[in-house]
Amino acid sequence: MHKILSIAWKETIIRFSSRTELLFFLILPIAFTFILSDGLAGDPSEGTQSIELLVVNVDDSELAQTLVDGIDATSAVRVALVSAETAADQFADDATAVLTIPTGFGAAVNAGEAVTLDLQKEPDNNDATIVEQTVNAVIGSLNQPLAIAQAGVAFAEQTQPFADTAARDTFFVATLDRAQTLLADAPSRFVVTKPDGSISEEASFDVTAHQSAGQLVTWVFIPLLGVAAVFAFERNHGTLRRLLTTPTTKATQLLGIVSGHVGHAIVQMLLLMVFGAVVLQVDWGKSPLGLVIMMLSFGLAGVALGTMLGTLIKTTSQASSVAILLGMAMALLGGCWFPLEIFPPAAQTVARFLPTTWAMEGFSNLLAVNTGIDGVLVPAAVLLGFAVVFFGVGVWRFRYE
Amino acid sequence: MSEPILTTRNLTRKFGDFVAVNDVSFSVLRGEIFSLLGPNGAGKTTTISMLSCLIAPTSGDAAIDGHSINGNPNGVKNAIGVVPQEIALYDTLTARQNLNFWGHMSGMSGKALKTRIEEVLEQVELTDRADDKVEAYSGGMKRRINIAVGLLHKPKLLFMDEPTVGIDPQSRRRILDMVSDLRDQGMTVLYTTHYMEEAEELSDRVGIIDHGKLIALGTQKELTKLVGQQESLRLHLGEGITGESVQELFANVDGVLQSNALDGEVILSVTEAATALPGAVTVANANNIRIRSVDIQEPNLEAVFLHLTGRALRD
Ligand SMILES: Nc1ncnc2c1ncn2[C@@H]1O[C@H](COP(=O)(O)OP(=O)(O)OP(=O)(O)O)[C@@H](O)[C@H]1O
Ligand SMILES: [Mg+2]
Repeated sequence: MHKILSIAWKETIIRFSSRTELLFFLILPIAFTFILSDGLAGDPSEGTQSIELLVVNVDDSELAQTLVDGIDATSAVRVALVSAETAADQFADDATAVLTIPTGFGAAVNAGEAVTLDLQKEPDNNDATIVEQTVNAVIGSLNQPLAIAQAGVAFAEQTQPFADTAARDTFFVATLDRAQTLLADAPSRFVVTKPDGSISEEASFDVTAHQSAGQLVTWVFIPLLGVAAVFAFERNHGTLRRLLTTPTTKATQLLGIVSGHVGHAIVQMLLLMVFGAVVLQVDWGKSPLGLVIMMLSFGLAGVALGTMLGTLIKTTSQASSVAILLGMAMALLGGCWFPLEIFPPAAQTVARFLPTTWAMEGFSNLLAVNTGIDGVLVPAAVLLGFAVVFFGVGVWRFRYE
Repeated sequence: MSEPILTTRNLTRKFGDFVAVNDVSFSVLRGEIFSLLGPNGAGKTTTISMLSCLIAPTSGDAAIDGHSINGNPNGVKNAIGVVPQEIALYDTLTARQNLNFWGHMSGMSGKALKTRIEEVLEQVELTDRADDKVEAYSGGMKRRINIAVGLLHKPKLLFMDEPTVGIDPQSRRRILDMVSDLRDQGMTVLYTTHYMEEAEELSDRVGIIDHGKLIALGTQKELTKLVGQQESLRLHLGEGITGESVQELFANVDGVLQSNALDGEVILSVTEAATALPGAVTVANANNIRIRSVDIQEPNLEAVFLHLTGRALRD
């Protein structure tokens, strides 16, 4: 036993004696998870100075207010409500831009008529250009819910006419509000519907959770395949030959290397989960027992594949490139980067034979649904099956030269 | 005479049809340094690999400390230490970390291991560099740590496979002195080399191996007797002069028993150097060959090898 620990410890010192290893162990996976999950909820441009836009609002409709609030809520532009005179004075002085919302703006939009907003801006001024783009963007983002609201009103009117304009306006604003809320929620959640025979099966994807799991599987899997390089090194540097002249068996050697690298993988997974949980609010804690089962079975399957590769590959540099290429390919095809559902059927079939697919499935189940251990039993069993097969081939082909 | 710690019986190893080690039988006595002397490809490493249970003999057997290499490899492994021909170390670990790791693999641990590591570091004179990574070491220093690993568990029998290959004369000197010290401490060593000088300096007994066959065995005195009262005459001719024609020219000189041409030199086995030399000079002059210098050597292992194989050790 203490020999196994010595070998595992030796693997640890060797692996982390190079600083760049930390890059692959933590820094890159964190960076990728962060970027691909769209970072934090906060706006990246927060903290930069916003530009003041003078707004003359002579329409007292709710829609006008929504537009003003919308502009003010952006990080680039803040709104200062002023009278027409003040606006004229300040614009003549040094104000960047003035937006005028005319009377009847809300009513006209309600009626589905074309409306013109007046934006005066300083010529050849970068800030003014930013203001224009921001206002356009806000109007654009209003257009979609507006179209929905208008369609809603028209549809409601067909079913039953409104009592008066006020009732019609109220309904319009309520519909618009609802449409806005729904649309605002949309970007971080989308629903994939997969036709499966006659039954339509729905799976809900949380992009951040998917990336947290997917990047974890990817970046843990690649170094596990990299164990191939350890075996190539041991063969090429005569250390395996020397070891076999000591009273230490091949089995001890194999167990030491395997437990060392599975240990590294588990530490790495825990750290990435802590990052996902603390920074990205991914809920990794739903089933601790399920997590332990998944981490162990995934670690074993990965290290077993690395061991098998190690008996097929001759040199350390070959082993490292194969680990990266094969690891990336298997991560991609295993649905670690994009949901498997968007892949052609042939690729989805191939994916059934990849350990990455089952790892992803197990971890996703732990994140998405409150299935507890039930959700990981099948993936874990398949992963352990892979481990047995890969180890079998690896041990059978284990040579010292 | 002390009893043998190692006895091989008809040890043979084939790689396909190629016979790398051919029916080799010899013994190593406790406390002696036994050298296997032979040129590249003679079968030295293959022999050591069989004796350290790395590869199985095609036929034959060997007993080490009473354990058969075929029947009880574990008993053998506990008795031996191996210094492999290649430097088998982890170069991203420090010397001390390497020793610690290999000590555990040999079944040592705890305080005993710690103390022993300091001892062997002293022995190979690397205590002050012990916490440097091996990758930062010179070739000679790596060789010394490579040896230290083999010594760590105080083996009853130490195999040293060409431990001085590819290093500068100074480091080589250091290693040879270390081996002498080991003998003084009572260690039994099976030493392989293709340097005649090393075998002569270190060994109590020498086995000469060529093409997988053990062609001679004995003390240096016993071996040189094989060549009779011969001396050897070494004529340095300058680079580029070689080949059979030169060899034959000198073979016909009076008093020359055997002539061998190497690159830039000819080695003549003669009954007496003083009588053969004038004839050799005459032949050289007649053929416009300039002799740059002449060495006269007493019978040595080189001459023995030449005598037995018709070839020089280094070719
Ligand atoms: N695994 C192998 N497969 C095939 N041939 C081998 C193998 N190992 C050694 N040989 C051959 O056996 C012969 C003896 O090799 P060995 O390494 O024992 O020589 P050596 O005396 O140690 O030489 P050197 O001084 O170069 O180390 C060589 O011709 C070598 O090519
Ligand atoms: Mg050799």
